[in-house]
Amino acid sequence: MNPLPGIRIADFTVHNAGPFCTPLLSQLGAEVVKIESAMRPDAFRKPHPVYGRMGPATFDQVASTKLSVRINLKKPEGVALAKRVVAVSDVAAESFRPGVIGRLGLGYEDLKAVKRDIIMLAVSSSGQSGPDRHFAGYAPLFGAWGGLGEMTGYADGPPIEMRHVMDHTVGMNSAVAVMAALHRRRATGEGALVDVSAREVASSLLGEALLLAAAGEEPHRMGNAHPRMAPHGVYPAAGEDRWLSIAVDGEAERQALREITGSADLSDEALSVWTRTQDANAAAECLQAAGIAAHASWTTPEIAADPHLRERHAIVEVAEPDGKRRAAVGVPMRLSKGPEIGIHRGTPKLGEHEDYVYGELLGMGREERTALEEAEVIY
Amino acid sequence: MPDSSPPLSGLRIAVRASGVAAAYAARLLSTMGAEAILLEPAEGSPLRCEPPFLPGSEVSALFAYLAAGMRSAVVPDGGFGGLLSEADVFIDDTPLAEREALGLDEATVARRHPDLIHVSVLPFGAHGPKAHWKGTDITVLHASGEGYLLPNGLSCELFPGRPPVKVYGHFAELQGSIAAALGALSALWVRPEAGGQYVDVASQDAALAVGAFAIQRLGDGSVEHRVERSFRYGGVIPCADGYVELLTLEQRQWHGLVELLGKPDWSQDPALEDSLERSRQGPVINRHIREWASSRKVEDIVREGQKLSVPLAKYYTPAEVVRDPHEQVRGLFQPVETGAGVFDMLVSPFQFDGAPFALRGGPPALGDYTGGAAR
Repeated sequence: MNPLPGIRIADFTVHNAGPFCTPLLSQLGAEVVKIESAMRPDAFRKPHPVYGRMGPATFDQVASTKLSVRINLKKPEGVALAKRVVAVSDVAAESFRPGVIGRLGLGYEDLKAVKRDIIMLAVSSSGQSGPDRHFAGYAPLFGAWGGLGEMTGYADGPPIEMRHVMDHTVGMNSAVAVMAALHRRRATGEGALVDVSAREVASSLLGEALLLAAAGEEPHRMGNAHPRMAPHGVYPAAGEDRWLSIAVDGEAERQALREITGSADLSDEALSVWTRTQDANAAAECLQAAGIAAHASWTTPEIAADPHLRERHAIVEVAEPDGKRRAAVGVPMRLSKGPEIGIHRGTPKLGEHEDYVYGELLGMGREERTALEEAEVIY
Repeated sequence: MPDSSPPLSGLRIAVRASGVAAAYAARLLSTMGAEAILLEPAEGSPLRCEPPFLPGSEVSALFAYLAAGMRSAVVPDGGFGGLLSEADVFIDDTPLAEREALGLDEATVARRHPDLIHVSVLPFGAHGPKAHWKGTDITVLHASGEGYLLPNGLSCELFPGRPPVKVYGHFAELQGSIAAALGALSALWVRPEAGGQYVDVASQDAALAVGAFAIQRLGDGSVEHRVERSFRYGGVIPCADGYVELLTLEQRQWHGLVELLGKPDWSQDPALEDSLERSRQGPVINRHIREWASSRKVEDIVREGQKLSVPLAKYYTPAEVVRDPHEQVRGLFQPVETGAGVFDMLVSPFQFDGAPFALRGGPPALGDYTGGAAR
């Protein structure tokens, strides 16, 4: 059985970090109502020129498995309608800059007034408090503020900008926090304001380096090197832009590697001489058979086609509205009593589920809905 | 008034961890109030010996961070039953091939502890053709996509021929941790109806999940590559005394950037009002931005830029993060006894009801838990 049946989330999140939380929960059985409007459609419904996408996305991972309704939050009637959705929800999720949702009249106190035990998830770049709380930010900035960007990169090069993995790490942390809040509500009957700071999520990924810094050390980026394992890195394989990642742990593994490569020299340069002659996938299998951690550096098409990932439902097939099939990423777990978890609905059309949400859940008649549509509240 | 008790008070976690993924999963739950007992062999978890070490000591900074607030029970092989019978959740990274002999395989644990949430955390999971594969952070990262896609931006421009570079630390393994924590809490949620169950988490799956955008773009007909996925303009910008990150996605942010730059002539081209045209002219725009930034200081650029709502951030060093006034106000760090001194340690990346969580303490001494079934 799905683990989260009966949990409903009013989803006001935008961009990627917040929106990645709610589809994880929806794939686990929660019902997520995505709230947007024709005036401010979600980013995936528009071109994204900075990323080079010159039109709307035909599929959006973070919008899949969600229901869509239109609400114009610029109008007081829209705010009132949003509160009605919240009143039948367990969780309200938002990812505006701190203060924005409150100015809309949908802050935590406003929502508690309509649902006493509501759990409000607020995802932001720097959290809801502190001198930098107003800072605008996206994934690369989270990584920069949090220290992860500075610590990533070649030892003699500049820092590296984190991309969507940073956003989505924030989203997955947010899902953990929401689940914890639900457990507390079950135990105490109390809701919660859950404040997730994206830059702090980035920092949480380098806790040991921060501890070293607190102790007076100066940790620095070290490329692909490891503080204990050697050889450890990414090595050229046969073919253009083919690479093999290898992590050798201990003397027994080093000896096994010497036997495989036929060389006593395990310097990166010497190992590269061997790897350049090897097919990356075949070499990884060979090294694994000898007890050495290794894997080819996979391109996205290789990942999408991998039988292991498909058997685990980490990669699944989804259908677009025109019937075209494509690969998507499933919720990253398998449950012995929940084999049905995962993506069960594609990307919704704007307002696709208003009959269910407004009609069935809120009990609104056709006349009331039409009036709100004409007033550009449902818009 | 909101309840001030940590959200997972009363929850008991047993964790057997030789790697980062299982340990941090328990740490996440422990920081939110669960009682976590680290089940260790007599010689201690291998994580205790994992570098880096705190200065002048043999205390692993990694272990200290991962195990902060936990207790430690020394448990001989095969003697896990008592502590598992007291736990709500068991998190385990024992290699598959060793589990049956230890009585830690899925079927045995389910039979002996039918209400237990049994969370397996392995590099490639407990099911599938590669379930037995050995994995470390770097190999899992390259098995899940992001490994091939870094570096991008400035670093890729400077070093086009170098091998891909990994994300610092234990990025892929920590994704497994977060997914495991999510799986544990989800399975617990339905335990009153379903009873205990087995949660199979792979760090590979979790790292792939957070890299989902590459799979999405593949479906759009575009194969991501580290060379091409640089931002058209913005990104890592070298300044006179360091680096800033710049990313403007919205029109008003572009206008703020133009103002920050002093409205130079090139920026007044009406064609640049169109975001698609800016994308096309990205390399030219970036040349202008880099030239402008090269003689200015990071702090000045960030301060003035954020005033104009231009998304700009300094690349903070770890020491700057620890000293950051913003994080001090938010209570991100808490002083704890590590065994090598009292140092500030990151507590949790999220807060409830406007207050940070609190760590129960630093890393446990080996075998400091002698309560309950461990006696």
